[in-house]
Amino acid sequence: MSTTATASNRALAGLLLRRFTLRHWRSAPGQSALLVLILALGIAVFFSIRLANRAAVASFQNFTDLITRESDWIITAPAGLLRETILPELRERLGEQPVSIIPVLDTTASPPRRADFEEIGSRPTFQILGLDLVAVQNLASARSPDRSWFGQASGVDSFWRLLRSPRAVFVNAALAAREGLTVGSKLPLVINERVVELEVAGIIPQPPGDPAAPVTLLIMDLAALQPLAGKLGRLDRIEFLVEPGPDDAARRAHLREQLAAWGDGRWFVSSPADRRENAALMTRAFRMNLTILSLIALLVGVYLIFQALDGAVVRRREEIAILRSLGVEERAIQRAWLVEAALVGVVGGLLGALLGWAGAQFSVRFVGRTVNALYYATSVQSAHLDRAELAAALALAVAGSLVAGWVPARDAARTPPAQVLVRHAVAAPGRRVFRNGWLGLALLAAGALLAALPPWRFPGGRLPLAGYAAALCWIFGGGIVAAILLRPSARLWQPLGARWVSVKLAASQLVNPSGRHRLAVAGLLCAVAMTAGMATLVASFEATMQGWIERTFQADLYISSYGAQSASTQNRIAPATWRAVTNHPGVAGFNGVQACEILLNGQRTILASGNLDFLQRHTRMAWRQAPLSDDIFRPERNAALALASEAFTERFQLRRGDVVTVPTPAGPQRLTIAGVFSDYGNERGTLVVERGRWTEWFGDEYLSSVILVLRPGFAPESVRAELLGRHPGLNIFTNGHIRGEVLRVFRQTFAITYALELIGVVVAVLGLALTLVSVLLDRRNELTTLRALGLDWHEMARATAWEGSLVALCGVGGGLVVSVALGWLLIFVINQQTFGWTLSFRLPWAQLGALAALVVGAAAGVSYAVGWWGAALPADREE
Amino acid sequence: MVAAVLLWLACGVCGVTNAAEFRPPLTTAEGFAVPQPGRRFEFPRDHGAHPEFKLEWWYVTGHLFAADERRFGFQATFFRRAGPGGSAGTNTVDTGPGGNSPWFRSDEVHLAHIAVLDVRTGKFVFQERLNRRGWDADVTTNGLHAWNGNWSLRMTNAASGAMELIGSVRAEAAFRLALTPEKPLVVFGENGVSRKGASPTAASHYLTFTRLKTVGTLRLGAETFAVHGRSWMDHEISSSQLDPGQAGWDWACLQLHDGRDLMAYRMRRKDGGPDPFSTLAWVDVGGRVTQVGAAQFSWQTVGTARHPRSGVSYPNRVKLTASDPAGGPDAVVELQLEPLAPHQELDGGLSGIPYWEGACRVLDAQRREIGAAFLELTGYAGALGGRF
Repeated sequence: MSTTATASNRALAGLLLRRFTLRHWRSAPGQSALLVLILALGIAVFFSIRLANRAAVASFQNFTDLITRESDWIITAPAGLLRETILPELRERLGEQPVSIIPVLDTTASPPRRADFEEIGSRPTFQILGLDLVAVQNLASARSPDRSWFGQASGVDSFWRLLRSPRAVFVNAALAAREGLTVGSKLPLVINERVVELEVAGIIPQPPGDPAAPVTLLIMDLAALQPLAGKLGRLDRIEFLVEPGPDDAARRAHLREQLAAWGDGRWFVSSPADRRENAALMTRAFRMNLTILSLIALLVGVYLIFQALDGAVVRRREEIAILRSLGVEERAIQRAWLVEAALVGVVGGLLGALLGWAGAQFSVRFVGRTVNALYYATSVQSAHLDRAELAAALALAVAGSLVAGWVPARDAARTPPAQVLVRHAVAAPGRRVFRNGWLGLALLAAGALLAALPPWRFPGGRLPLAGYAAALCWIFGGGIVAAILLRPSARLWQPLGARWVSVKLAASQLVNPSGRHRLAVAGLLCAVAMTAGMATLVASFEATMQGWIERTFQADLYISSYGAQSASTQNRIAPATWRAVTNHPGVAGFNGVQACEILLNGQRTILASGNLDFLQRHTRMAWRQAPLSDDIFRPERNAALALASEAFTERFQLRRGDVVTVPTPAGPQRLTIAGVFSDYGNERGTLVVERGRWTEWFGDEYLSSVILVLRPGFAPESVRAELLGRHPGLNIFTNGHIRGEVLRVFRQTFAITYALELIGVVVAVLGLALTLVSVLLDRRNELTTLRALGLDWHEMARATAWEGSLVALCGVGGGLVVSVALGWLLIFVINQQTFGWTLSFRLPWAQLGALAALVVGAAAGVSYAVGWWGAALPADREE
Repeated sequence: MVAAVLLWLACGVCGVTNAAEFRPPLTTAEGFAVPQPGRRFEFPRDHGAHPEFKLEWWYVTGHLFAADERRFGFQATFFRRAGPGGSAGTNTVDTGPGGNSPWFRSDEVHLAHIAVLDVRTGKFVFQERLNRRGWDADVTTNGLHAWNGNWSLRMTNAASGAMELIGSVRAEAAFRLALTPEKPLVVFGENGVSRKGASPTAASHYLTFTRLKTVGTLRLGAETFAVHGRSWMDHEISSSQLDPGQAGWDWACLQLHDGRDLMAYRMRRKDGGPDPFSTLAWVDVGGRVTQVGAAQFSWQTVGTARHPRSGVSYPNRVKLTASDPAGGPDAVVELQLEPLAPHQELDGGLSGIPYWEGACRVLDAQRREIGAAFLELTGYAGALGGRF
């Protein structure tokens, strides 16, 4: 193509854009705005979830990065803690190699109690990092000219006083400012089950330009923290820094090999990147689920863009025909349409990103809270705008609108010039796809096949990809089938037309429905099916949980450290305290529970212990596979036995009778799974052994919780008050209270999924409005006729309201039917494959009814408004 | 600053006084041991740490030679310092309420310095390290094994006094050296006590190997050299503090080609006046010591170098004039110390005390090279007296 031709093409494209596309946008700004808004909402939901996910993952850090530079390698025990005696061993083995060895201890703490009953997870959790404050000063990056660890207090021998203080703590500058803390201030905190008054020794030194430490980070001298944390002689991890210089890459690699070889099962080596990746992997399924849910609104949005552009093609057919007859090429016309679609994508994408970024500031708390409750400690409070995510969201918006615009653009280009002569051309032939019942049925069948496939397993997790594909098939297939059913259902309404002219008008439109009507049905079905399906999952989950809680929570009092708030807190109960508690005269029996994370086959899971005879005497376990004998409950016979949670067996593909070898500080232990129980507490799986065995292996008598059954005559409330009076650092729940808390935490976890679904429904209802607007614009001549025949505005608006309601009814009806299938899929395939939890199916009738009424009602109201607007349309309006 | 609490370099001075009258108290006011005249040293035990004293150091300096006329200087020092109350008088250790772990003690901190000079390029590299007593830094009490991170000094043969020294400067330089005494151990001072001030507690036990045959390897950057040469090692044990009137000190150790060694020390007062505790000691080929007092030698500055990084001026060209015990009662010898590189400053980033510790050659009056020396210049970046 010659240069002139290219230039003239460009000029033509510009002209088409100005005179053809933008003119229409200007003449109907409301419609264009609605279209952009729909896309923006879809993008916003997606973007906000992505940002929140990213923030939650990014907030996982080793914290030592803030004090030193990032370590090269980290060693941790495969189960429990490292013994500090390996430090001299490591130095000796390393010989003259220039490597810094940084022992690290960490624990969590909470501010002391303010009210009698507080919600779990409602208080901030502080992360206390224990470092050798003398040694860290040797690391060049830890030296800050204006502020050092030891220089902040003044006076003779302040260095030694700080080094020997059992309570000295360094705080973040922001916390000091917020709480008015200065050197010497007292900071009371609950560490394990004790209220400890720490003393502020200064602000955490921070070299200029380095990222600020999180507000919840506290730093103490390792030697002072060990006794406070109940970890005497123990370390959480040891970090290694290879001195930079010649061959440092080779020396780093060599060090890793050496560490791995010397460990011999006592520890394993990872890099900070490995640990971050592991944290990311741990929450991957959870984040992926959220992302997929967040795409629903976008999917509905793309449906609607398709529909809107398709409508515009039909309405502007005359103009296109004129352009064609003027010699404008097919390709130029197609391009003009695609540019229009892309414009919608860009504007919608940008607006969506803006909304999404704002939304992320809220959703990040939900995501952070769930990650905190289920996986690891995060301190995430806000989500940052991320360029890669922004680019992804914009690309998705443009790609979505281009995909939606492709078929209409092709149709536009192929409009024969002769069309202009045909005054009464079929207004909207509709997409053939939505009239192909076989395709719909085929999709439904394909979904059924996909639902039977196993999950996709990757290192560290599993994801029900086939399950999601099945859901997509059913949504599309269901949409097609429901769209086809629009006509027969309209026929059902026709008899009513004899009495109400508005019904007659509406039914007559739908007996021969346009493609747009069909699309609206499919869009509504998609939104309603997903929302109702999710509601079914949540209801089933809740019903199952309630049953499980009824059976499992049978004891009278549940005791934990006041600092224990979620899976990520480390606060436990010291032996002296739990012995005092269990020696209370009112105690008839108790279960002392301990748990720690272990690494099994490269995956993190939980090893717990308890008094197993207590389980048999005082609870009714919810068994998936009940033990075949009583051995597991007899301490003298259960040494080589363990109970496994359902999630554990699902994750490691084991069952009753299988043998599993778990790492412990006392070496690997072979355990036979004696039974499998239901547990909805975590998805990583739990293996439970007798408490005596644990104490033997770990040499540690701290308990994470104590469960008490009281003798008759002792009221739980008064025993609780008495124990709390003596041990203010404990948290004690009565039976009723813990049941309520478990359900509350559970509901909180699902709050965000509800929010995502509801946005999908809002988008679908907006889409219905847009559909009706297009339909009325198509029919404006007919509307003029109706007005001439004497129909008043109310009747015309009512006719449109009926039309919208009928479409909505069809979409909602279909949606509810598909939702039952989706609910089944979510419960028995997707949830089972993601979390390994078996749930019983329950339909939330009231919620589904309310959802249906809400959607149909909203549709009727919106349609009435559109009808009212349409009734006023001038007959000769150009569009 | 860390510096305020870690004023280490209270160099042991060997004052010459009338020992007959010297009756120091058994302990300092803080409860640390005070060096007592007539102490009988037991080796190898006394090469190790003495926790009943507040301050102690093992100080090795030396000159190394490789093929191609390559020449190097090195310094390796291990200090221990007890905190207030420390482990005075006993071996039962007060680790403080937080110090429950024997691996993270709070009774003592250990500082160490390593420095390497490449004479050909004049490049001087050094590293400073501070650790609490525990798993990564300590000195044994039953014999000499001092370590701080990956640096260590260990006596490998109690009979001969042979030692192994391992040191590095980050990843830029590293050495592993075998040190073998060529002369018996010297105890400076009177009757085993080296006084450094008027206060009876201001004294130390000062034990020195003045001449150690040194063989080993030295790596500088990517180059590794087989090296041999000669080192000097001081082991000084004290609990004392510097007199508030003193600004700092200049110290030098000389190893002459004729087989004799010489240690000289000049105490500088804040008022610029002479300090009677300055001293000079000759060690002859057989290891016999002849000490002369402040009046019998002179320490003259003949040149000064301003360090480009710290801006501190160090008088690092020195002329020593002293009577020569080998040459009869009136023989006087002139010894000039000329630095092998002008800038051999340790910046004191952790200890807060910058000082100059550098390799020198020794010239006679005719400017013939007659030996090698190390020169130490302290208190030029601010007076030290009264700070500890």
